[in-house]
Amino acid sequence: MSDRTIHLHQEEVKITHASEMDRRSFLKKAGGLLLAFSFEAGANRAEAAGAGTPITNYIHIGADETVTVFVGGGEMGQGIWSGLAMGVAEDLFVAWEKIAVEPITASLSWLTGGSSGVSRRMTTFRTAGATARTLLVNAAAQTWGVDPSVCAVNNGAVINTTTNASLTYGQLAPLAATLPVPATVVLVPSTSFRVLGTAVPRKDLYGKVNGQAKYGLDVVVPGMVFAAIKNCPVAGGTPKLPITKPVGALAVVALDSAVAVVATNSWAAMNLANSLSVSWNYPTDYLTQNSTNFATTASTLMNSTKPYVAGADNSGAVYTAETAGTGAAGLSTAAKTLELNYSFPYLAHCCMEVLNCTASVTPTSCELWVPTQAPNSCLKTAQALLPTLPASAFKVNVMLMGGGLGRKFEQDYVKQALQVAIALGKPVKLMYSREQDMGRDYYRPMAVSRVRVGIDAANNITALHIRNVVPSISNQRGVVLGAKGDSAGTEGVVGRSYALPNRLVEYVQHTSPIPVGYWRSVGNSFNAFVMETAIDEIATALGYDPYLLRRQLLANDARSLDVLDAAAQLGGWNTPVAAGHARGIALAPSFGSIVAQVVDISMPTTTSIKVHSVACVVDCGFAMNPNSVEAQMQGGIMHGLSAAMWGQVTFSKGVASAKNFSNYPAAKMKDAPVITVQIINSGAAASGTGEPGVPPIAPAIAAAYFKLTGKRIRTLPFFPGVTMSG
Amino acid sequence: MAYTINVNGKSYNVDVPGDTPLLWVLRDVLGLTGTKYGCGIEVCNACNVWIDGSAEKCCKLPVKEVTQVKITTIEGLSADGQSHPIQKAWIAEQVPQCGYCQSGMIMRAAAMGSKPTDAAIDSMPNICVCGTYNRIKKAIKRAGTGEFGAYPPKP
Repeated sequence: MSDRTIHLHQEEVKITHASEMDRRSFLKKAGGLLLAFSFEAGANRAEAAGAGTPITNYIHIGADETVTVFVGGGEMGQGIWSGLAMGVAEDLFVAWEKIAVEPITASLSWLTGGSSGVSRRMTTFRTAGATARTLLVNAAAQTWGVDPSVCAVNNGAVINTTTNASLTYGQLAPLAATLPVPATVVLVPSTSFRVLGTAVPRKDLYGKVNGQAKYGLDVVVPGMVFAAIKNCPVAGGTPKLPITKPVGALAVVALDSAVAVVATNSWAAMNLANSLSVSWNYPTDYLTQNSTNFATTASTLMNSTKPYVAGADNSGAVYTAETAGTGAAGLSTAAKTLELNYSFPYLAHCCMEVLNCTASVTPTSCELWVPTQAPNSCLKTAQALLPTLPASAFKVNVMLMGGGLGRKFEQDYVKQALQVAIALGKPVKLMYSREQDMGRDYYRPMAVSRVRVGIDAANNITALHIRNVVPSISNQRGVVLGAKGDSAGTEGVVGRSYALPNRLVEYVQHTSPIPVGYWRSVGNSFNAFVMETAIDEIATALGYDPYLLRRQLLANDARSLDVLDAAAQLGGWNTPVAAGHARGIALAPSFGSIVAQVVDISMPTTTSIKVHSVACVVDCGFAMNPNSVEAQMQGGIMHGLSAAMWGQVTFSKGVASAKNFSNYPAAKMKDAPVITVQIINSGAAASGTGEPGVPPIAPAIAAAYFKLTGKRIRTLPFFPGVTMSG
Repeated sequence: MAYTINVNGKSYNVDVPGDTPLLWVLRDVLGLTGTKYGCGIEVCNACNVWIDGSAEKCCKLPVKEVTQVKITTIEGLSADGQSHPIQKAWIAEQVPQCGYCQSGMIMRAAAMGSKPTDAAIDSMPNICVCGTYNRIKKAIKRAGTGEFGAYPPKP
């Protein structure tokens, strides 16, 4: 975030005056200065390659002094739209209050995930802001007939430092729009930040406190009808035809692996779908799709001796994700060994807003209104179904998401809405009931992990052998796994900075056909539990304090050590604990950020553990908006806490157990600890915070639980089978 | 069949089956989409509205049972949509993340009055998957200080 000169028109950021077509076609911003800017290569290469078009964002400065930033990506609560606009405000020298933010069209937008939305793209937005500022200064200099160096900028105006004359950005914008884009611009040095690093308020909250914010499920399109989904309860099953249209329905539409029931309102559609009797063609192996079978398979695979061979059939093969030193060899000669077996369930996403998509298809057009993390994927889904329509016929309106959590990358619900709209020839709002939303998810994969630890007579850890058996998200999507297996199965146990010189981490792909997907923090969601609980168990075996053991093992990682020490301090690790309470600590790096948490718990019952407080320290390099970082840590902790306590989806004959919040509980107010967040701006590259709050909480609670009760929790959730009422 | 209901001080005639839940009358018939569907089984409380000033779930509440009451939704909490002390406190504390559950949260919180006990706050039954609970508690307490004015009388 330091002072730097950005060279434009090279491999990095590309900034141009926007075309007249851009103005007319979707921005609807006549006059003024309108800049289009694509991402620097590092931020957009993958998406741009996939999209086939450069990803472009815009800044508009109107003659009326308005400053509008057009931002891509999906807003699911993380604050991406405001976050990126902050960078423009900073380098354009405009007060935050004067900035407006609008989403861009889907064809120019990007996937939102990997906790990278703000951090990875900030330089681009700052550079664009600096470019606009430079153009405005040049316009002022030309107007006054002076050198630009005589000009200063302040709060939306350019000032002639000789005469004290002043011209506003709005006055200068028309001329600036005619000047050449500068080859280099200078960014504001981090020591002079006025906007970045401050807790400016988000732009999107007013509509969220008065009911005016429009989520996907709130869309109203003239003439639309309402469709409710009845999915085949087993993934991959298909409906048997014909299906009789129930009394009261406008239509039933058979889909790939579902039936849609269409009615005149949401409630009628959901009721009719719920009571509709459909016969299904189940996948041939559906009787074997049971959680007990999945556990047996995992046990078998855990003992696989089949090595990975490039190009061969690698079903059941052991992939080497990471190896160092003598790997696992030291186990055989160790004075003491530990074998720790951990098990994790499938998890549902259960975003507060159920899946939904509104589609309108005519012979010459296709328009979507969709809450999505992947606007461009929605466009492609539509184009695949309507191959004869020209690109200009498609429009995707990116709606606010009532949570995304990784579920709203997927295209199942988008395709279904399009298919129903095509079948009916009229606009359709398609929705899932909560039961359908939980019942056919791309679940967080189950995982089984075995950790073997070798310890010598002097209490040195001489070998660490971790083997994870996990279904592969990417292989289910057609990716052939490379020599390291699926990184999503081992992230969080590989690349750790603990001084464990001899280690071997292996991955074996579990063969369960249950669809799996990206769930907030992905593999870190269980692997942090594996690593951190193992460290806690090693500390117990050695008679060490788990915090001090980590300190010792992190001697060569100053950044992690700082986070760990700060969390211990914030959580009062070295102070007396209240009677009947216990503390636990855990550390997890993910998505470039490092997070440590200290919890204080008491009173475990048969249904929950009372978590009184969480002291959370995060090093995300530089916190663009500390208020948002705190919110993401609090949210990540609550998400991880709910999952650790109760989150579990089991399967019987391919049918998911999760039906609703009644048997898939989420934390409520009474379950919420007091969460204190401390941010360390270490100066490392800015990194994400949407996910890194999740991984440490479960192992921290489990460690405290052990201290309190002497019982080790090695299988999540802590309290399976708990139900919840309203 | 037609029913007359009073929502946010206005009378509406709605022609729907009597067992239609109020939630879907508000959303699909009246276009008041601030009240949210989350579970449909009275567990998550995203659908909280006021019935005669008391926070209630409405995802299963038949419309035929609310013809003699005053219904208040998030859209009617304050005349200008931002001046109830709870709304101001929600902005001041930057409570919402995705925001989807917040209509229900706000209606539940505002119904408790300006100085709810900790026990009352802890008993709020609303689910927020984003996990905004700490800020909700702070916002409720801050609104109770009078910083944003007195709570207006309920309808």
